[in-house]
Amino acid sequence: MDQNNSLPPYAQGLASPQGAMTPGIPIFSPMMPYGTGLTPQPIQNTNSLSILEEQQRQQQQQQQQQQQQQQQAAAVTTVTAAVQQSTSQQAPQGASGQTPQLFHSQTLTTTAPLPGTTPLYPSPMTPMTPITPATPASESSGIVPQLQNIVSTVNLGCKLDLKTIALRARNAEYNPKRFAAVIMRIREPRTTALIFSSGKMVCTGAKSEEQSRLAARKYARVVQKLGFPAKFLDFKIQNMVGSCDVKFPIRLEGLVLTHQQFSSYEPELFPGLIYRMIKPRIVLLIFVSGKVVLTGAKVRAEIYEAFENIYPILKGFRKTT
Amino acid sequence: MVQPMCLFFLISTLSCLRRVRDLCRVLQLPSTFEDTAVAYYQKAYQHPGIRAARVQKKEVLVGCCVLITCRQHNWPLTMGTICTLLYADLDMFSGTYMQIVKLLGLDVPSLCLADLVKTYCSSIRRKLAASKLECSQGARTACPSLADCSSPWALRHDPHFDYFSFKLFQASPSMPAKFMEDKEKMLSRTLQLVELADETWLVTGRHPLPVITAAAFLAWQSLQPSARLTCSLARFCKLANVDLPYPASSRLQELLAVLLRMAEQLAWLQVLKLDKRSVVKHISDLLQHRHTLIRKAFREGPSGVEAPAEELWGRGQGQEEVGNGSSDLPKGKRPASPALLLPPCMLKPPKRVCPTPPASTVTGDEDISDSEIEQYLRTPQEVRDFQRAQAAKRAATSSPNPP
Repeated sequence: MDQNNSLPPYAQGLASPQGAMTPGIPIFSPMMPYGTGLTPQPIQNTNSLSILEEQQRQQQQQQQQQQQQQQQAAAVTTVTAAVQQSTSQQAPQGASGQTPQLFHSQTLTTTAPLPGTTPLYPSPMTPMTPITPATPASESSGIVPQLQNIVSTVNLGCKLDLKTIALRARNAEYNPKRFAAVIMRIREPRTTALIFSSGKMVCTGAKSEEQSRLAARKYARVVQKLGFPAKFLDFKIQNMVGSCDVKFPIRLEGLVLTHQQFSSYEPELFPGLIYRMIKPRIVLLIFVSGKVVLTGAKVRAEIYEAFENIYPILKGFRKTT
Repeated sequence: MVQPMCLFFLISTLSCLRRVRDLCRVLQLPSTFEDTAVAYYQKAYQHPGIRAARVQKKEVLVGCCVLITCRQHNWPLTMGTICTLLYADLDMFSGTYMQIVKLLGLDVPSLCLADLVKTYCSSIRRKLAASKLECSQGARTACPSLADCSSPWALRHDPHFDYFSFKLFQASPSMPAKFMEDKEKMLSRTLQLVELADETWLVTGRHPLPVITAAAFLAWQSLQPSARLTCSLARFCKLANVDLPYPASSRLQELLAVLLRMAEQLAWLQVLKLDKRSVVKHISDLLQHRHTLIRKAFREGPSGVEAPAEELWGRGQGQEEVGNGSSDLPKGKRPASPALLLPPCMLKPPKRVCPTPPASTVTGDEDISDSEIEQYLRTPQEVRDFQRAQAAKRAATSSPNPP
């Protein structure tokens, strides 16, 4: 008899028992909402919170400085930069402790103008140095998640002929039947860009926010060199992925039981537990080996904060039964 | 007047709701399950994303609703079972399942391993055969999907594919008497072995079925080791009429290594030259004292950041007695020091060491030299060569094949 070839034989599973058990009254409401509620509150380490609050104050100060400089720069240059608003205007999380976004869309800097084009890009504003906690969570976990991938977008501000780009660039591939964008790669920073005909670009693979911005600028330069009037508008970090290792095994079955509202653990599908933290809005992949992947952050501090929230919870599940 | 599209959606919904009920009947679930699964399907269908989804996804959604209902009633049913019944791809099923759980905001409890073990060892082949006979004799209204073997919704009736049965509990011409086993004894021992596997980190993060298969095999062997030690895992699965999951062999080796480690702590077994075959004979003793033996045979792993990563597998590499290794014990040696009780993935050395990247000094505003950019641009000659190559390729693909 033909079997479902796409399914491994052992994954075909078993029938439901017949009379082997008599399910009683359902012990929970099937309509229980998923993902509601606040971030679970383990033992709070006030030291780590005070560090985060200090970071937020510093970020706000930096933002104010940048805003002043931008106003000065706007009077000189012809290219406007979109300035990220302060914490109070950020919608997605909207929490009182929301970390303001650090990165503003900046103009592209060139040392030499392209032939035939006017220099459009002024000198940069204050470098977008993210605030790295001086002692990130040293009081609580002592573990600092490492950033593994940054996804950013930028608008080059002009329509692009992808066939021309694919023809004249060595590091580009373009297969319109498969995907409607040019895939371009550079060696340093080691990244990949998706360049669309609308002029929008996605840059992936960088290990830090600055690297992502530098890489995006290089891609824009390549497009400029190919003869397009590329600008560098609305650069924005869209997603940050970090990872770390707590160095002890974790009982995922126990974690999913006690944090059912936030967790999803299906070993038939995926070996890790998917934890959807509400505040900050981060998704964590937690594995039995103690390795944790954090994703969904717009700023680095969210990764750190999410890990500080989850670490005490994980410690509670590291003993064997 | 009913719009054509509305009529189409209505017919589609009714068809799928009927399939939900059919699937519940095929799995012989209580009628209350049917109502719950139908309610879930109706609720999911209200979402525009589901309504506009392809037919395959809607069919998979039927299985998702039934699975969620079973999970919420602690009825052990694996995703593999549903996928097999629906001829569905597991990837599509998993995506639809995660989507619907999030969309409906449902709390779905995990699959209970103990219940799954009971299901694995139980036989419902007689009941399946009876229902097939009933349908073939004309009671088609009861289970329409069973009756219509040609429809994609029909349960596969081929007896060779009757994976619901566990033939070891039934006498048959093809089953030697020495291989037959009492169902309750086997169930009890399998449960204990699965619990042991769970306590020693062999279950977490892994597909449950290979562990259960390995545990069932060891349980069956240990109940009559003299007659069954020569039987391999593959043959056991064939005799029992169950599939052999690919990872089951690895799980078996891991379980045997744990048992060997535990056997070292038993005074009357220390003098014996136990290996992975002979330890099976003593499984009953090991299970009887398993909690104490685990405590003696294994020690907790390093406590978080205090221990560097090297300690985890550096020791495991250097010392023979550390870790759940698969090597046999040297003869006449004293019991080894306790091994680390850790998941196997933490005991194995990493495939490649990822050094911590140095602190980056990039600011994002560095000057970009023209030479660096020009290395990514083709020269005019390269452009011409590339165009020539593209034209040649187009000509080659468009020209007809020579006769």
